[in-house]
Amino acid sequence: MLDVHGLRKVYEGSGRRTEAVRDLTFTVEAGELVCLVGPSGCGKTTLLKCVGGLLSPTSGEVRLAGRRVDGPPPGTAFVFQEYGRSLFPWMRVGQNVELPLKQKKLSRERRRALVADALESVGLADAAGAYPWQLSGGMQQRVAIARALAYEPEVLLMDEPFAAVDAQTRADLEDLVRRLWRERGITILFVTHDIDEAVYLGERVIVLSASPTVVREQLKVDLPDGRDQVHTRVSPRFAELRTRVYEQIQAAKRGR
Amino acid sequence: MRPVLLRLAFAVALPAVLVAVWWVASAGSTNVYWPPLRTIFGAFPDVWTGERLREDVLPSVLRLTAGYTVAAVAGVALGTVIGSHRRVRAVCEPVLEFLRAVPPPVLVPVIMLFAGIGDTMKIVVIASGCVWPILLNTVEGVRAVDPVLAETARSYGIRGAARLRDVVLRSASPQIFAGLRQALSIGIILMVISEMFAASNGLGFTIVQFQRGFAIPDMWTGILLLGLLGFLLSVLFRLVERRVLGWYHGLREAGRRSP
Repeated sequence: MLDVHGLRKVYEGSGRRTEAVRDLTFTVEAGELVCLVGPSGCGKTTLLKCVGGLLSPTSGEVRLAGRRVDGPPPGTAFVFQEYGRSLFPWMRVGQNVELPLKQKKLSRERRRALVADALESVGLADAAGAYPWQLSGGMQQRVAIARALAYEPEVLLMDEPFAAVDAQTRADLEDLVRRLWRERGITILFVTHDIDEAVYLGERVIVLSASPTVVREQLKVDLPDGRDQVHTRVSPRFAELRTRVYEQIQAAKRGR
Repeated sequence: MRPVLLRLAFAVALPAVLVAVWWVASAGSTNVYWPPLRTIFGAFPDVWTGERLREDVLPSVLRLTAGYTVAAVAGVALGTVIGSHRRVRAVCEPVLEFLRAVPPPVLVPVIMLFAGIGDTMKIVVIASGCVWPILLNTVEGVRAVDPVLAETARSYGIRGAARLRDVVLRSASPQIFAGLRQALSIGIILMVISEMFAASNGLGFTIVQFQRGFAIPDMWTGILLLGLLGFLLSVLFRLVERRVLGWYHGLREAGRRSP
């Protein structure tokens, strides 16, 4: 579904040359939920923006369903960390979710149905008429997720979407992502710096090195499909996986 | 009900005091240029009859509306182009700074040379003065579109006219309105000034006529009417702004409650 091959990104500006991403190669199968985790400042966001066509790589390539990505592809939706700045404050929640659909030339009835369905599935059916800034942080991020869902993407890219919400809200949103993934069979690439979150959410965890970034390890998460915050997080297997990822990240930080 | 009455009282208090002070201070005045306010009030209904409102005030207001509209459309359109392209901005910025620094009344004689002395001249004068704050504020507003919002729009394929209408202009609208507000007061000034040169009707023309004919109380009524007109237009402006920028005031309010 998603092929990242030899991806390299070098930023050049004001006499400084920063190699954010050195050489990344990995694939994501259709319908998979993959978490990318790495030490902070390791170019995770750069990588995700290259995958989403928002940045063009210096070398290497990203292929989505066989087609080379050279701009935001129509089949991907992006959920940003900064939910407050990613929703349009002059539009009501419903209009925010509907706006991308207008570009897709869908009929009004179809748009309405998609908006209602997306808001319903993130638990915000009543909030369509509110402005985003009238909602709490967690609810705003739900709106951003609903907007992505209504867009009916093949691939959903999430860039540390829960880094700025409180712990309880975060747990709810993690379960929401798991549920949506199971219900809708979307391919999800989820970037986080939170090891527990990566292991809890992912079917596979890709551990990245410190910048300049390469893939350090890929780990299959063999936890059962039905996960919940109480039991999954105390299971011995969860602890093992978590420890394994943690060690990798620590080693990455020390640069070994 | 209480708070509304209280707010109304606050709004009316200072004007009432000022009028009262003027009334008392000028009551016994024998100075020709400084007639008692009572005399001015007395002259008001005789001067500003229905006919005069139609013959002088209406043309002024129409010219102001036309010039202001031209300035708003041109300012927002050019400002959007200049604000969206770094190269265009680099080329235009020095020229804009120069043109903005030229006081618009100076242009009246120049504009008369090619636009004649009719309505066109006056509309051009008003537009050429009003356009700068609108243009420069639009440039700043368009430049300042939040990068996360811009990326969101890009990732969802929101391009072209939809991007302009639903993202760029809406995001710049608080600043565009700041420019429009400045332009409104400039427009009123230029409306009057343009009518002081080579005019045959209009508020500015009438006030100058009264002054030249030593009809001093009548002249004062004209100045009062101008003040009232300015006040009315600013109230109207605020009503429109409240409607269009309701989201912006709400957003700022929300930001203040939870920083």
